[in-house]
Formats: sequence, structure tokens, C-alpha cells
Amino acid sequence: MNRVVEFIDVGKRFGDLEVLREINMKVEFGEVVVIIGPSGSGKSTLLRCINALELITEGELIVNGISMPKQKRRAREIRLEAGMVFQQFNLFPHMTTLENVAFGPRKARGFSRKEANEIAADLLDKVGLADRSGYYPSQLSGGQQQRVAIARALAVKPKLMLFDEPTSALDPELKEEVLTVMQKVAEEGMTMIVVTHEMSFAAKAGTRLIFMDEGYLIEEGDPKAMMASPRTERLQNFLRHVT
Amino acid sequence: MTFEFDIIIDALPALLEGAKLTWYITLLGLLGGMTLGVLAGLGRTAGTRQVGIAASGIHIAINRTLQTVSFAYVELIRGTPIIVQAMFIYFAMPMLFEVLFEVRGVRLDAVTAAVITIAINAGAYIAEIVRGSVLSINKGLIEAGLATGITRFQLYANIVGPLALRRMIPPLGNQFIISLKDTSLFIVIGVGELTRQGQEIMASNFRALEIWSAVAVIYLIMTSILAFALKFFERKMRII
Ligand SMILES: Nc1ncnc2c1ncn2[C@@H]1O[C@H](COP(=O)(O)OP(=O)(O)OP(=O)(O)O)[C@@H](O)[C@H]1O
Ligand SMILES: [Mg+2]
Repeated sequence: MNRVVEFIDVGKRFGDLEVLREINMKVEFGEVVVIIGPSGSGKSTLLRCINALELITEGELIVNGISMPKQKRRAREIRLEAGMVFQQFNLFPHMTTLENVAFGPRKARGFSRKEANEIAADLLDKVGLADRSGYYPSQLSGGQQQRVAIARALAVKPKLMLFDEPTSALDPELKEEVLTVMQKVAEEGMTMIVVTHEMSFAAKAGTRLIFMDEGYLIEEGDPKAMMASPRTERLQNFLRHVT
Repeated sequence: MTFEFDIIIDALPALLEGAKLTWYITLLGLLGGMTLGVLAGLGRTAGTRQVGIAASGIHIAINRTLQTVSFAYVELIRGTPIIVQAMFIYFAMPMLFEVLFEVRGVRLDAVTAAVITIAINAGAYIAEIVRGSVLSINKGLIEAGLATGITRFQLYANIVGPLALRRMIPPLGNQFIISLKDTSLFIVIGVGELTRQGQEIMASNFRALEIWSAVAVIYLIMTSILAFALKFFERKMRII
């Protein structure tokens, strides 16, 4: 089975507010999908629905073979297969860097402490923070925290990684170190859905670009082609703002 | 009239007996209070920290019930004086049993009634402390926890619990000290705790100055021990 995510006529509303409308979309194994769109267009909500942090209100959403909302009791299985990186990092403040990363393997996957620590140490090495394993989140820079958060999500060995504006809370000079790590993850073949306004990342690592507005999926295609010649006026306007 | 230390020395064995009972009631009562407080505090937050997929059907009904029961308990206790609660548990409960179940002679001894009163009373205040600290935990952390694929129980045991506990320590210390001092009210149901011992000695020798000074100092020492223990715990739990 190569399809990791499939949206079929998906809608999501909060009370009267329609946040996602008529979403149809497929993500195949190994794709790096970059989502852009103005504030409030529903990008975060889309990611949160994939990760079962929100339940869709219309249509069907299949993640790794599990269908929402029918199988909502299996939300936890979806989360095991879909790692999430948040804009605000959200590292566990009472755990060291190593403990943060070892947490998922140990608690969610049931590895022993020793095995979990080994997994964590390897991943910290990979994101360039091997020498920070004993630090607490408050002792790290934003960029370092976000790299730990990426390692934490990877540690559970997900099939899919979701990134919600991972560099928006970072100073420009710290964005790059996070984007480099993300690019590395992409090059290793991880399936990724990334909400970001870093168009350079979309061009370099993205296999597909999606533009959302007012809950609709407006336009999608090859990132470079779309950026060079946006078909819709909305995307043209939007690109003028971000670049 | 002079301040005579000999009087205090003579009274000390009896006063320390009383202090021992005060400790006993306080510690046992607070153990019960913590249990009740955590249950009622979590009960009050049932379903309000919904992150992820909202509860449905039977779960909504369960959450509502937990919320209502916990709320009623907290309001009942906060809305009545502890002395009335003690009187009720010691004197009125046996009669209530008689009225309700027609069983006679169910009677708690005074110390048990005192322990139960502290437990029930402190439990209500601790419930509010627990509720406040649980609600203060950043939603993003809860989502990050769930996103790793853990169960809700694991979330509470490993993330919400440990973080909330750190926020609870200062207000808990406050409540522990209040509860310790509240044990002096059990003089009204004849428990031989510290205040009662002081009162009895005073009634026989009329040395109010020496006796109440000694009693006050002993209370001060006991509350300081509690405060110190909590400070120590707080320092041990501090996140860098
Ligand atoms: N839990 C919620 N309850 C009610 N409304 C919500 C909730 N979450 C999101 N919304 C609303 O849904 C809309 C889309 O929000 P969303 O966060 O998905 O947008 P976004 O595209 O990620 O925006 P941004 O770029 O600002 O992050 C917004 O109008 C927001 O106010
Ligand atoms: Mg967003």
C-alpha cells in the first residue's frame, strides 16, 4: 500500500465556521508536500485532522489505512504513524533533550529504557545535538529546540511527518539550521507534509506544492512551476506577499 | 507575676503528647485529603481538557456526572465552617445513620472523626488546587504528548501530572499549614490534641501566659517543619 493519506470530500467545521471544504487530496509514500496559504485558510487544521487531533465533520480521511471518522477509536494508531512538529516546539520542559526524544519510543512503542535511549542518542546525533543530550529545553535556543522536536517525532518511527510552520517562531539566522535538518529528513525518503512560507524549502525539497485559501484547496502542482507561473489570481497575490 | 519557665517544663510532656496527636490527625487527614482532592480536582476537569477527538455518547454523560459530583462536594465544604463539619461528622452522622438506615450506635471515636473532617475539608480545597494546576498546563504540550501516540493515561502520568504537581506545591503547602492549625478546632469534640492539652493544663494552674506561649511555639515549630519539607520538595522538583 503506497498511499499514506487520502482526503475524500473532506469538510471540517467548528460550530458554524467552515474551516475545510471539499478537500480531495492524496499523498503517496515518499512525497514531500508543501502547503501554503494565508492566515486562517485552514492549513493547521488540515494537519491536525491528519494526526487525529481534530475529527473531520464531513467526508472521509484515510491515514495509513485507518478511516476517519468511522474508526475514530483508532486515533492513537494514526498518531503513532504520523509524527508532528509544532510551530511552538512544545518540548516537555521537565525532561532533558535525551528524555524528550526517548519518550515516544519508550512509552508509545514500548522499548526498554536502554533501547529508547540509544534511538534517542542516534537521532540527536543526526540533528546535530549529540552534545546537548543532558540539557533541558529552557537551556536551548529556538532552533535547537525545534531540531529536538523533529528528533522526538522521528523517534517513534512514523511513516509520515507533519510540520506546522516549524520555522515561523524562529529568528532568520536560526531558520536555516532547522530547514537543513528537514531537508535531510526529506532526502532520506520520509513522507512529509509541511506547512511553511519558506518558498526556498518548497523549491528545493518539495515534490508538490498546495495552495489553500478559505478552506479550499485552490491549486496544486510542481513547486517550481507553480511559483513561476501561478494559475489563479489568488495564488499570484499570495506569492507577491511572501516573496 | 513573672514568666516561669518551670511551668512550661512541667507542662511539656502533656503538651508533646498533644502535639503527637496533632501530627497524627494532620498527616493522616492530609493523606485522605490529597486522595479526595486529586479525585475531585480531576473530576472537575473531566472532559474540559479535551484535546484531540471530543468525547461522545456515554463519555459525555460520565464526564458531566464527575463534574457535577465534584463541584457539589467542593461547594458544600467551602460553603460551611469546618467546625460545623466536625460537629456534623461526630454528633450528627450517628443520628443520620439511625434516620436513614435504622442502625443504632454507629459512633466514630473523636480522633477518627477529626481525621475524617480534615480529609474531607482539605480535600475540597486541594481539589481546587489540583484543578487550577491541571488547567494551567499548556495545551500545546498536551497535543505534543498525544502526537507521540501515547494513551491518555500515559499523558496524565508522564506529562500533565508531573508538570501540574510542580505548580501545586506552593498552594498545597499553604493548605497543609491551614489544615494543621485547623486541628485545634477539634477541642470542641474532645480530642486531646495540642490546644486541648494546653487548655486543660491552663484550667488547673491558671498560667495562661506560659502555657499559651508554649502552645504557640510548638505550633510554630510544627508548621515550620511542614513548610520546610515542602520547600525541600519544591527545590528537588525544580526544572532548571
Ligand atoms: N478549535 C477551534 N475552534 C474554533 N475555531 C477554530 C479552531 N481551530 C481553528 N479555528 C479557526 O479555523 C480557521 C482556520 O484555522 P487554522 O489554524 O487551520 O488556519 P491556518 O491556515 O493554520 O492559519 P495560520 O497561518 O494563521 O496558522 C481560523 O479561522 C481559526 O480561527
Ligand atoms: Mg496555522
